[in-house]
This record gives sequence, structure tokens and C-alpha cells, in this order.
Amino acid sequence: MLGFVVRRLISALLVLFAVSVAVVAIFTYGPSDPARAMCPEPKCSVQRQDAIREALNLDQPIHEQYIDYMTGIVSGREIAAGTEAYECDAPCFGVSFIYRTMVWDDIKDRIGPTVSVAIGAGVTILLIGVPIGMFAARRRGTMADKAVIGSTLVIESIPYYLFVLLAFLYLAVSFGIFPQKGYHSFTDSPVQWAWALVLPWLALGMVNASKYARFTRGSMIEAFNEDYIRTAKSKGLKESKVVYKHALRAAVVPIVTIFGIDFGALLGGTIFTEKIFDIPGLGLRSLEAVTQSDLPVIQATTLISAAVVIAANVVVDLFYSVLDPRVRVT
Amino acid sequence: MTVSEVLIQGGPEPEIDPEPSTGEIAGRSPMRIAMDRLRSDKVAMVCAGVVLLYVVIAIFAPLLCRLFGVELRAGTPDDTDGFNFPVIGPPNYGFTWAAPLGLEPNSGNDLLAEWFYGARTSMLVASVSTVASTVLGVVLGLIGGYSRGWADRVLTFLTDLFLTLPFLLIAIAIAPILVDRWREQPALLDNASLIAMIAILSVFGWMGLARLIRGEVISLREREFIEAAHVLGMPTHRILFKELLPNLVAPIVVSFSLTLPATIAAEATLAYLGVGVTGRPSWGQTILRAQGWFEQYPLYLYAPIVGIVVLVFALNLLGDAIRDAFDPKSFR
Repeated sequence: MLGFVVRRLISALLVLFAVSVAVVAIFTYGPSDPARAMCPEPKCSVQRQDAIREALNLDQPIHEQYIDYMTGIVSGREIAAGTEAYECDAPCFGVSFIYRTMVWDDIKDRIGPTVSVAIGAGVTILLIGVPIGMFAARRRGTMADKAVIGSTLVIESIPYYLFVLLAFLYLAVSFGIFPQKGYHSFTDSPVQWAWALVLPWLALGMVNASKYARFTRGSMIEAFNEDYIRTAKSKGLKESKVVYKHALRAAVVPIVTIFGIDFGALLGGTIFTEKIFDIPGLGLRSLEAVTQSDLPVIQATTLISAAVVIAANVVVDLFYSVLDPRVRVT
Repeated sequence: MTVSEVLIQGGPEPEIDPEPSTGEIAGRSPMRIAMDRLRSDKVAMVCAGVVLLYVVIAIFAPLLCRLFGVELRAGTPDDTDGFNFPVIGPPNYGFTWAAPLGLEPNSGNDLLAEWFYGARTSMLVASVSTVASTVLGVVLGLIGGYSRGWADRVLTFLTDLFLTLPFLLIAIAIAPILVDRWREQPALLDNASLIAMIAILSVFGWMGLARLIRGEVISLREREFIEAAHVLGMPTHRILFKELLPNLVAPIVVSFSLTLPATIAAEATLAYLGVGVTGRPSWGQTILRAQGWFEQYPLYLYAPIVGIVVLVFALNLLGDAIRDAFDPKSFR
């Protein structure tokens, strides 16, 4: 078990390293000229741009830039931009081109809302999807089963963001059942926090739940056909005990795996959810930075969300080995 | 190999249909059997018709515009009134043939023409990038599955890496950079955003298929016909593309038909987030602009939404039908 954990952590660190290299490389070599992106022509002279280039270490080879950036995240560094110098404490993600503020100070408050949306939606997915799938599996072949599975197919065919958008336009704007705007932090007021996020959770959760309903149904039916279920039934165990204790335990394992893989997509889903509901999260900040070509901010949000996804995958894999004793051997 | 990989690799297997056809023994290829099954599937045929209609609209968009007497143009101030509403057609006036879907508020662009050309953008981006990502997935999957050493390990790592990346976040971050870079080359000037979008959707779309193909190849490469080819001294690239590839048609076709709608949806999502194709009409962008008007002018919002939903729905159903047709274990 310990070996498995260690190996899993090492591979996660490798992935994180590769992602960070890729992100730094993309943002260094990607734009034709970061200095010009930071301070365009009429505002800055060519000499000034050269100064920026030097100050940002853009003239250094890529590996030195990478080491600089990573050192900054771990232990902070000093950034000189033209005549100004910034003391950037750890974790240092650089200085915003637009606002001239520390990127970390700018985005650290944004993580909470994004995580709130993602986790809430994740819980919604499991709370809606799994019971519906179990319902359909227990009534397999009946009209109820067909109706449920048919409607999940229809919901799934509506592109994800359109579903969220329509939910917002009708339930929040037109009918005013749910609040339109306003994010409240959990520590301020848990009730307001939850109330403002109910619709985003439901909307984002519903679309994904349809997939999980079908998935649960499939793996439950598979589990029902196993010998040990027949044994449990012939022992005279109560139906509910067979379903919830014996079958569900086996069926839930693949669901957890897929959930881990989907977490990245879910985090992506929070971007347009944040945009539609105007939730001040990482995604919204990232979109804003994209329109302003604010490279350090985009770089930081990309890196942070990749790290979150990688961490989520590790957690799921470890959780998985707890759920399924067969996995622990490797 | 991680646990998740084991689970994902169980895909449809290309096997010859065991059911004998009415006593007479006829050699039918798995492809033929699948096509026959598909042809007798009414839902699939209706969906194929819908998709075909979209293809026709996309290809003949200019012709259709002329047929309806509309054109893709920049609206003039005369087209909108003091409240930025169009002076003809919906929402304030009745239906008019001059602009069957009405004019766009603010700009006065013709919405029907935008819709036709939006179909074109959507179909173009989605089909090209799905073809590209399919080719990428097949090639990488073949190489990964057939080579036993470091190449396989590197490719598996790459696949895991790309699956880990949060696609939308990376896409909105990279798209402007690519556009910025490619715009400097005169040959790409107008199409920079189009090419950037295709590149992004292709580069992030191959992982699922690569895993599937890799798994199939790992089981196929131990079979006698591959060993025979190997012993005969057939070069590796011939084994890969002449021996293995024909056995992988079913998963490739199924994956293609299910990736296409996902790509269309992804393109529309990116356009809605403001990093899609610029300089040409796109459904996603129309939705973004129309969302603020939806109470006064629902048609403005619903035309592109219906466009996307019907297309994606038809493609999804068709994809499911194709999967069933190729799967010998499924009976309808």
C-alpha cells in the first residue's frame, strides 16, 4: 500500500513538472513578444520594451527562466520591471502586466469560489446521477427505465454550457426563482453562500449527472448478474441490503474512477458557469486576463488549475485503492 | 498501468458477426454487416438525413443566401432604430422575406445569413479537427501499442498528461497566443483564429482514441497473423498500417462519430467564451451577443441554439447507432 502511494505521488509530481515546463515554455515562446504584449507600441518606446525584456529575464535561456519562476513560487523573488522593483513573496506567480499587482494576491481569493462551484457540482452529480441510475437498474427493461435513460440521453445532447445558460436565463433572470448574481464567501454566511450557488450546482450537476445515471445503471446491472448477489439473495437477505450493501459497493468503484477523470472537465465547466453567473472565480479572472493579454495571470491560473486536477486525480486513485481491495496488490 | 486505464480500454471489439444469415453462407465483411444494420435503423437514418442537411447548408451557404435573398454584410445605421432594434422583421415587426430570421440588434447584420455561415464555420472546424485528432490518436495508439519499450511508456505518459490538463482553461489561455503568433504571417492573416481553433481542438482530442487503439493493438499483436507477418519480414510500418489498421476500423469509426458532436459543442463553448473563430460568423458568438436580448428578442438567441442542439443531438444519436451496429454483442 505504501509503495503504491509513493509511486502514485512520484508519477503525479512528474506530471506536474511536465505541465509546469509546458506552461512556462508556452508563455515564453508562445507570444511573438511578451514585452510588447505587456506594453504596446505607442505607450512604450522600443528602448523601453528592451528594458522590460531584460527586467523580466526574457533574454535569459528558457531553463533559467523556468528555474526563476519555480523558485519564485517556492521562496519568492524580486522582480524588476523597468524602473520599478517588486518584492514578490512566496508563492510568487509574477506581477500582473495590467494592474502591476502581485498575481498571487490577485487570484488567491478566486480559488474559493471556483472550488465551491466544482465541489458542489460534483456532489450534485453523485447525489442525482447515482440514485437515478440505481432506480433505473432495479427496474431495468420497464417503461420507467426507458424513460429515465431516454431523457438522460436528451439532456446529454444539449451542449453543456447551453444547458447552464438556459437555466440561468429562465430560472434566474426570467422567473427570478434563484438569485442572479452575488457570491458570498462560505465563512461570511454559509446560507447565502449556498443559496447563491444552488442554481450553478444544479445546472452544472444535472448535465453531468445524466452520464453518471447511465454509468451507474450499467455497472449496477453488471453487479446484479454476479454470483455473489445471487448467493446473497438466496441466503434470504433483504432486497435493500443486497442492493445497497453488496451490489452498490462493487458498482461504485468504476464510478469513482470516472469521477476522478472528469474532475478536470468539471473544473473547465466552472469557467462558463462563472461567466454566466458572474461568480468571481479563477475562470472568470482567467477570461479577463485573456482579453487583456495579461500573461502572468493566465500562466498562474493555468498552472494552479492543472495542479488542482492532478491532486484530485491522486486523491481519487488513493481512495479507489481503499474502496477496491483488489487494487491494493500492485 | 493505472487502474483507470484498465477500465477505459474495454471498448467495442471488431468481431465477425456470429449470427448466420438465412441459411445461406455469404462472406460479409464486418463493415458490410455494420452498414446493413445501420441501414435498417430508422432513427439512425433520420439522423443521418439531418446531418446531411447541415452538410449541404455548410457547403452551399453562399448559394442558400442568394436563394433567400439575404447577404452577409455589415449592417448600416439605417437598419436599427433609436433603441438599437432592427427596423424590419422581428421582434417589433412581423415576418418579412427581406430578413427571414430578422436583423441583429445594434449591428443590423442579417441573422439568416449569419446562421448559414455559422453552420459552415462550425462544420468546418469540427470536421477538420476531428479528422486530425482521429489520425493523431490512431497513429499514436498504434505506435504505443506495438512498441513494447520506452516509446510506449512515453506515449502513455503523454496521454495521461493531456487527460490531466483542464482543457477549457488551457484552450482559452493558448488560443490568443496562437492567434497572435500566426497572424504575423501574411498567408494566415485572416484564418489565424480558424487554424488556431482547429489546432487546439485536434491536440486535445486524440487521447481517448489513442488509449482505445493501444489496448486493441496490445491484444492483436500476439495473434498469429501478426506473428506470421513479422516472421515473413514485413517492415513494421506495413504491419501497422496493412495488418493492424484494418482490424481497428470499428473503434475508429465509432470514436469518430462520437467525437464529432463533442467537438462541435466544444467549438461553440470556446466561441461563447470569446476565444473562438473571429472574423467570420459563428453560432457560439451569436449566442454570446444574443443572451442579453433574450427577453425582447428570443429568436435572436434561439436560432443558433436550435442549430447547435439539433446538430449535436442528431450526431450523438447517429454515433450511438453506429456503435450498436458495429458491436456484435448488441441486439435491437
